[in-house]
Amino acid sequence: MTRVPLPRTPNRLDAIPGEGGRDEQLLGMIVALTSEVTILRARLDACERLLVASGALAAGAVDHFDPDAAAQAERERARQHTIAKVLRPLREQARAELAAVKDQTP
Amino acid sequence: MTWTESAAAQSHPMLAAPNHDELVEQLFVRDLKLYVMQEVEPVQREIAQVLLADGKARASNNPAANLREQMAGLDSFRTWLSLKRESQRQLWSAVGDSVARQADELEALGRFDSPRGSVTVDPEFAVPDYVADADIHLMPGGNGFDDGSLLQGAVMDRGGAVYMLGRNGGMLNDLRGHTAMAHLLTIAPDIEPERILDMGCGIGASTVPAAATFPDAEVHGIDVGASILRYAHARAEHLGAAVHFRQGSAEHTPYPDGHFDVVYSCVLLHETSPEAMAAILAESKRLLKPGGIAIHLEVPLIHEFGDVWQELSSELEAQYNNEPNWRGALSADYASLMAAAGFGDVKVGYQSTATDAHKSPKVFKDQSDGVFRSWFVASGRA
Repeated sequence: MTRVPLPRTPNRLDAIPGEGGRDEQLLGMIVALTSEVTILRARLDACERLLVASGALAAGAVDHFDPDAAAQAERERARQHTIAKVLRPLREQARAELAAVKDQTP
Repeated sequence: MTWTESAAAQSHPMLAAPNHDELVEQLFVRDLKLYVMQEVEPVQREIAQVLLADGKARASNNPAANLREQMAGLDSFRTWLSLKRESQRQLWSAVGDSVARQADELEALGRFDSPRGSVTVDPEFAVPDYVADADIHLMPGGNGFDDGSLLQGAVMDRGGAVYMLGRNGGMLNDLRGHTAMAHLLTIAPDIEPERILDMGCGIGASTVPAAATFPDAEVHGIDVGASILRYAHARAEHLGAAVHFRQGSAEHTPYPDGHFDVVYSCVLLHETSPEAMAAILAESKRLLKPGGIAIHLEVPLIHEFGDVWQELSSELEAQYNNEPNWRGALSADYASLMAAAGFGDVKVGYQSTATDAHKSPKVFKDQSDGVFRSWFVASGRA
């Protein structure tokens, strides 16, 4: 059974007077990106520390990494998730404007 | 008090456990909120103080509104508001992802063969306007959301704990409940209630402390959201508390007259409306046996605020974080409202935050010790 995703956009977001919608979109994207970069760095840091501690990772191994097809596919999916997360504000705005256009069109 | 990466502190099995990345994402939100609070907002406060010292804002019937008008022209003021709201949206996004990943496990954990308590939902129930019109705290879907699962409750619980930044009892988020019970034992040290009701119980964070304080009492919780109530029930079961949760409005509950010895609410009133607030106080009176005690706990009232900036800052928080009755609940004359609802022996003041209602010092006084250190309380006897 496929679950219906939980909602992600709250009902009622009051306008901040004088703040352009695009300013808020950009700010949202930058914050989301900062979050992703923070997670990424923490994970890389954890991996490298664990691997070095276990002796499994030789110095410079990451820099010489060559992913196989399966690894490439996983890395592909991860990139797409990141893009969807970061560009969320644009999609929201577009949906709102689409709804408005539909309302105005007989 | 705070939670860290090393303190993976799983307080109970229902709390959606983050994996490595999700925990870092939640800590990022925590740190972002602290940054906004400690690095960005203080400059706005300084700007406000300069404007207030100039006298223009003060020379008005409503200095907070006047100050707001002056500050609204500043880019940094608007950016601060945007960033603050975005941090809240990131919170729900991060927690929502983590809950969705473990949806099946959480649902399985919510099934019990022989539960101590119960949950009763009402498919015909329509949430009040103040819940339907704006999603409280920007939680997507709102408190009334129901998809037949308990997942919105899982989002609310984990999100609430991250939101409170560990200031309300770590991941259990239960100090308000303990504080309400501490107030009860302050005014009625020998009370042995048979039946207790928590109005607007949410995921039961403040309800479980009643069951912990009075293990022989029959404890009930009522709230508007079916999903959060299913979760509340599962959470209480895993914490070993027998609580009976029911879907309904605190304004007019399905329980008979005089059914309870104690009726209480924790930070419910500022999420309702001025009319609902009066109705909830009256309902808490109706539900009590003669001599029973009602306790309504809230955040500090406006007149406790130190300055105009604090008032404006809170008002903005209320508007942009969807707190529908912030001004109504924080500027009310509770002594009059409680008397109008028919209560006697009315007490209005601040109860020091308790971690254990029986063991913690029971301090009740006129002044607030500050946010999280004490809670506003209005109580009375039926």
